[in-house]
Amino acid sequence: MSDQPAVVLKGLTKTYGTGALAFQALKGIDLTVPQGEFMMLVGPSGSGKTTLLSILGCVLTPTSGEAFLFGEPLHGRKESELPDLRLSYIGFIFQGNNLLPALNLEDNVAFPLELRGKSRSEALTEAREVLSAVGLADKMKRHPDDLSGGQRQRVAVARAVAGRPPLILADEPTAALDAETGQQVTQLLKTLSTERGHTVVVVTHDNRIFHYADRTVHIEDGLLVRPPENH
Amino acid sequence: MSAFAQPIRTRPGFFKRWQTMGVIGVRMMFHDKLKLVGTLFGVVFAVVLGNFQVGTFMSLLFKNRMFVENAQVDVWVTPPGTRQFQGGTPLNDSQLNRARTVPGVAWAEPLIVQAVQLKLPNGGSEPVSLVGTRAPRFAGGPWNLVSGQTDALLQPDAVIFEDAEREKFGGLNLGSVRELGGHHVQAVGFTWGLLPFAPAYAFAEQTLVREITKQPVDKHTFLVVGAAPGVSKTELRERLQLALPDTRVMTRDEYLSEILKYIVFATQIGFSFGTSTFMGLLVGLITVALSMFSSVVDNMRQFGTLKAIGATMGDLARLLFVQAMVYAVVGSLIGLGMMSALVQGIRNPQLTPILPGVSVAITFGLMIGVCLVASVLALFRLRQLEPAMVFR
Repeated sequence: MSDQPAVVLKGLTKTYGTGALAFQALKGIDLTVPQGEFMMLVGPSGSGKTTLLSILGCVLTPTSGEAFLFGEPLHGRKESELPDLRLSYIGFIFQGNNLLPALNLEDNVAFPLELRGKSRSEALTEAREVLSAVGLADKMKRHPDDLSGGQRQRVAVARAVAGRPPLILADEPTAALDAETGQQVTQLLKTLSTERGHTVVVVTHDNRIFHYADRTVHIEDGLLVRPPENH
Repeated sequence: MSAFAQPIRTRPGFFKRWQTMGVIGVRMMFHDKLKLVGTLFGVVFAVVLGNFQVGTFMSLLFKNRMFVENAQVDVWVTPPGTRQFQGGTPLNDSQLNRARTVPGVAWAEPLIVQAVQLKLPNGGSEPVSLVGTRAPRFAGGPWNLVSGQTDALLQPDAVIFEDAEREKFGGLNLGSVRELGGHHVQAVGFTWGLLPFAPAYAFAEQTLVREITKQPVDKHTFLVVGAAPGVSKTELRERLQLALPDTRVMTRDEYLSEILKYIVFATQIGFSFGTSTFMGLLVGLITVALSMFSSVVDNMRQFGTLKAIGATMGDLARLLFVQAMVYAVVGSLIGLGMMSALVQGIRNPQLTPILPGVSVAITFGLMIGVCLVASVLALFRLRQLEPAMVFR
């Protein structure tokens, strides 16, 4: 696996609906993301970036074309196979952090590890290590509702990187944060991913964090486009 | 270790999956306390209502069957068409004598049961079900005596009354004299809890009862029979039925079963209690189903997150299953506890709901079934949930 790119997309399309109501969200995407890259996918609303992220996240199947994660094909997969692919390859950071309010922080981070087969004690040990790494060592028993928006997003980062999945997908991770907190969270994600060897794809509108990216890929109207000259 | 992170191929075993999803499910339940209370209320309501109906029905059944159950009689010879503990066309001496000659009969005695008015000191009157039992065997005689002895019925004009009716009978005590069917009688003992739906039982020696009720000496309400040692009661019943074709002969167990069938099928009581019990269960099911369903709908984003992270439909089914089991078990325990306290609180001879062990077991089974059905309905909603919704 080590020689394979993290992501390879060839002629990828996605169409929602059928007949007169059909809407083509992706119109033929070709993209390669090498392992270890910190890539940002940017574009206006409705450009297709969330659809692309959903296919990379194995929560949506493409209509045509080919998609590979670390050499493993995603196209032509049955829906029932996708959860296992997600567990194998992907850590998610959602726009609204999507932490489970019923669980305390260490349990929020530990449960994806348990879904991956770690024992309860192993999962808790690793969860505590990662929470310490994101600066929340003193809040592990707290619940998400007790935290600020920035702290919650740091827990989301911890949950995504815990267990060391090879690919981290982040959907607008700074959208609900102020500028300074957004910078801190992105810096944290960048640092952790570099240290731990993750490939990261961030979907964002936030041009204040573009400079953290190794590469910025622009999408418009379902197609990848060249970035503007001044970027 | 490679510089780059590697795919994670390990997965939990069967029990670990249950444990992980079960813990999340229980924590989600207890996080939303209002919904937890609402759902448990539905289960508790169904348990209390269902068991109260069953308990009251059992009490009704007990009251209707108590005499046959406690009379220490092996075989009953009753008027034709008898289906409950109630006399019909009187039986006669020739039938009694024929019964005594049937092989396998150890003894046969006449029994009289008749409603009589008891005159109260204030001038009013109250009915009693007067039972005439014959000395010295006193077959079909009093049981559950809390005061006095059965032999006291050998005294002149002696009657044993029901203790719970003493106030109603004008402050009746041992030695009190009352007018029963125009005849002065004296209280020589008291039973406890012998209150059928008919008037309370009172017992006297048969000669006295015949004087009070003007029942001819050769006419009897029932014939009660004891089987000789080693004789099958069913076989004896068949022999007696052949010898006494104009009667209905039943063993004790057959008579009890006949009364049950009569109450359940020949009256509207079984239908009525059955309907209200069913309604209780239905309300419980609807409450639990709505609550679990709305819990799923309210937490759709959380379930979407679980799915996106890698939980399968099987994992979510485990989560809902554990929640259903917790609702069922906790709700049943609370409901049965309340029911038990209620039964203790209102226990008296007039109204004694009975909570049999089988009802407790059935309650658990039914509530688990109801909650599982509710969780399956919630699961149908989750099947339609696309994990991609977490990116919208």
